Amino acid sequence: MPSQSTARDLQGNQACALGAVAAGCRFYAGYPITPSSEIAETMSVEMPRAGGVFVQMEDEIASLGAVLGASMGGAKAMTATSGPGFSLKQEHIGYGAGAEIPCVIVNVMRGGPSTGLPTRPSQGDIMQSRWGTHGDHSVIVLAPASVPEIFSETIRAFALSERLRLPVIVLYDEVIGHLVETVEIPAPGTVEVADRKWATGAAESFQPYAVTDDLVPPMARPGDGYRTHTTGLTHLESGFPTQEPECVERITRRISGKLVHHRELIESYEAAGCEDAEIVVCAIGISARAARRAVNAARAQGIKAGLFRPITLWPFPESAFKSATASARTIIVAELNAGQLVLEIERLCGGARQVESIARVDGEPIEPAEIEAKIRELSSHG
Amino acid sequence: MENFEIRFGGSGGQGLQLSARLLADALIREGRKVARSQSYEPTSRGGLSRADLVVAAKRIDYPLITALDVLVLLDQLPVAVSMPLLRPGALVIADARRAGEIPEGDHDLHLLPLSESALALGNERATNIVALGVLAGLGEVCEHDTLETVIRDGVPPRFLDLNLRAFAKGVELGEAGGPGR
Repeated sequence: MPSQSTARDLQGNQACALGAVAAGCRFYAGYPITPSSEIAETMSVEMPRAGGVFVQMEDEIASLGAVLGASMGGAKAMTATSGPGFSLKQEHIGYGAGAEIPCVIVNVMRGGPSTGLPTRPSQGDIMQSRWGTHGDHSVIVLAPASVPEIFSETIRAFALSERLRLPVIVLYDEVIGHLVETVEIPAPGTVEVADRKWATGAAESFQPYAVTDDLVPPMARPGDGYRTHTTGLTHLESGFPTQEPECVERITRRISGKLVHHRELIESYEAAGCEDAEIVVCAIGISARAARRAVNAARAQGIKAGLFRPITLWPFPESAFKSATASARTIIVAELNAGQLVLEIERLCGGARQVESIARVDGEPIEPAEIEAKIRELSSHG
Repeated sequence: MENFEIRFGGSGGQGLQLSARLLADALIREGRKVARSQSYEPTSRGGLSRADLVVAAKRIDYPLITALDVLVLLDQLPVAVSMPLLRPGALVIADARRAGEIPEGDHDLHLLPLSESALALGNERATNIVALGVLAGLGEVCEHDTLETVIRDGVPPRFLDLNLRAFAKGVELGEAGGPGR
């Protein structure tokens, strides 16, 4: 085994699978779908090698069901899909959020709706990733923009999921998924593997949804002798259902409160050249790569432009965005859909800044020149 | 060239992705950053296929091609879609037999017997490696020795001899500079 890190040329989807292995994932269940299939393909090789389990399930719904079950059995577990399969998984994402079951769900976005454009890129699931399942629910969505970042964010997805006991979604577009870049793979055993908070202490007084200081209840590890109960019904600290209004509110607020309480741990972003920027471009994935070049080109022409890239897409890094855009007059939101992220940015700006949208829906990625032209246009109008 | 963009274009099954991977490996060994992307049609052979590399000395911001410095054409199929992407003065290497109709323009065209040379060596499928040899022979993209090393390391043993001969033939064509425009 190498004792040092090794540089490897990896496709984005391979990097995702290898990131999961490094993070300690030992159960994968999925149903292959373009453009995510290489994740399943790589996991089918890596899981048996690592002593884990790979299951090709009958469909996407069952895949996440198996992942939730494996997680409750104590394994770090993951599934991967694309937009149509992600829609099918939504009911189980809600179950995972409500029953607080750690798991990682990867969505490699393609053109939609429905079968759409299987091999073409899209960023059309920005809102589905946040609001796809029903009811108020807590979910974390990470949006890497390069192959090395897919590797590191998949590791972070497991850490957050295990630590905070909730489903974490890794969301990226087909371009990044199929791109090949060089990734520095840490030596085996050097990645810190996050372990979930297991129940300790007296079995008699154990409550599977106990309120703790960090709002994350310890879980019963199967075989440790704790009595536990899991249900999709809104439940008390004991795990059993309740409809008592004050109990329902207490439970609901605790679960959503986890994201607020651990905001610093969850939030991640890149802000480049924003300090004095008049125009800030906000984008994720391949659109953010185009935006970076456009912003650099604009800077070279003397235009004060900056880039804000949420790496944690949801919960959106609100305060970081507000500080990064403090001097900005205009925000340009570049995305591969008819206008989704722009809605969040308009909400955050509250009418105080001009918000412009570059929304591309022809199955092609946004090119740097498109963003650069928009920056120049808005700059000269200043 | 330190920072550049290159496309291998042709028809599915011509080994374009392999050429791009070998060149990328060689460039990375020379210390460059490389982003590789690809596009092909849902057929196992035939149909437009392309493999693109964005090469930089430092960090790559946008990983897809926007203006090509080098275009390698092994078939007529990708010609129409790729010509508008050429940077003025770009290097174009085309197979005289299968990509013989290249429009006039501000580019440095080398129309060479790539597939004919591979056929003469006994296997047309080595055309992609002849093309890599031409790149090494022209000497603008990558060092000869690095490319030869990655071919030795990256090609199945039973095809190594054929590929090394194809590479050497390409180098010879490249060093001769071809008939030019």
